[in-house]
Amino acid sequence: MTRLIRTELLKLSTIRMTWGLLAVAAALSALFASLEASRAGNGNSGVPPITTATGLLTVTTVTGFGMLLAAVLGVISATGEFRHGSATLTYLATPSRVRVLWAKAAAVACFGAGFGLVAALVSAGIGVGVAAGHGGPLALGTGTLIGHAAGAVLGGALLGALGVAVGSLIRSQLAAIIGVFVWAVVVESLIGGLFTAVRPYLPYTAATSLAGTQLGGAAFAAAHDVAGRGPLPFAAAAALIAGITAAVALIAARTSVRRDIT
Amino acid sequence: MATIEIEGLTKRFGSVVAVDHVSFSVDQGTVTGFLGPNGAGKTTTLRMLLGLVSPSAGTATINGYPYRELAGPRRVVGAMLESSGAYPGRTARNHLRIEALAAGAPRPRVDEVLDLVDLTAAADRRVGQFSLGMRQRLGLATALLCDPEILILDEPANGLDPEGVHWLRRLLRGLAADGRTILVSSHILAEVAQTVDAVVILDHGRLVTQAPLAELTAAGGASLEEIFLNLTSDQGALR
Repeated sequence: MTRLIRTELLKLSTIRMTWGLLAVAAALSALFASLEASRAGNGNSGVPPITTATGLLTVTTVTGFGMLLAAVLGVISATGEFRHGSATLTYLATPSRVRVLWAKAAAVACFGAGFGLVAALVSAGIGVGVAAGHGGPLALGTGTLIGHAAGAVLGGALLGALGVAVGSLIRSQLAAIIGVFVWAVVVESLIGGLFTAVRPYLPYTAATSLAGTQLGGAAFAAAHDVAGRGPLPFAAAAALIAGITAAVALIAARTSVRRDIT
Repeated sequence: MATIEIEGLTKRFGSVVAVDHVSFSVDQGTVTGFLGPNGAGKTTTLRMLLGLVSPSAGTATINGYPYRELAGPRRVVGAMLESSGAYPGRTARNHLRIEALAAGAPRPRVDEVLDLVDLTAAADRRVGQFSLGMRQRLGLATALLCDPEILILDEPANGLDPEGVHWLRRLLRGLAADGRTILVSSHILAEVAQTVDAVVILDHGRLVTQAPLAELTAAGGASLEEIFLNLTSDQGALR
């Protein structure tokens, strides 16, 4: 299994797409963290000043893009095998397709963790930098910032693996990528806005809450201060996403993954 | 001794019968040509043999085992299929590094097979820029990574220029001289006649004949091409 995971890691590191997605994740994190920073403390924005804990949080927790693009990497890694016909060689070397699926999920999780880390470093860097410009003590402790960064790392890893499961199930690259964005941007906002009780259980929302993002405060989620339930506890949110990933992967393993490679 | 054994192999895609109760065997140390017109079911048969397509009925084994049950399958069988796609954005060398790692071939083998198929100079170019002939040679390099005792090649001469075809012939003969078992599909009959010991002919998903080449051509004194056209067109006329 180790060799199989190393193979998948080598596959990911030798395509430009991986590094391009990482760059996009970093750029979007920088853009939206800067936007949040400029809104913070701005009279009619409703966001408290960056010198307060809540205000600083809205900037340092802009890590959703790292996680979302980790999911896209997972989708591309799984569907690319069929788009370019490399599944033939992959399954010739490893006829157990389910093992390939798990190895791919593990490998993308490693890269996804990196995506989450980069997003956390960028947004925390901008938040801390802007706050320092305003003078005074930092409103968040180092421990909190590190905790949120660790959450972003875990969230990126989990969503990366989920992306592999979804891509293995759907197989069509375009459909799966569009599906991931529509789910995160539209479906979770809609469901989360309409039924606030289920909001904490939505996978993308749960992943961002791992990294300390306020419910509804993720850059792509519904308006900031919708009343509703608080986020799931850290372990529960992580277990929820892992469970969804395992469920989708098992469905894929019993359906699409078994299909003929023609 | 038979290395590859195919028994009553059948594949239906919906209502289409692509392969219809095909049985044949390939003896150890022989080069067997797998012939048939386009759409005869050659590729589907090879994909079933390699565990990529599940048969509707019948069995296909290599050294007595289904491909999926072989331990270290790439060390036993080197395969090159028509769409043995390398990701276009990767360099040939990185593609082979990945395949070597996946198949369990030692790292220096990458440079050896690159040299073997004359791709050393192009090793660090992206596969997307390769000509069809270069991609075929990369496919061969991939199949040869683990130095397997059995080779299964689907239309390896496709896209090769006359010089490339000549090169392929010498390569296959060299590999056969080392005692390897080779099953090679082709529709370039003149090429096959010069390389193979035996032929298996498929038409409309059915086995038309399996025989040593010498036996086939000696019987009628005709060339392989004439025999092939006779056999396959008769089948067509019957239907």
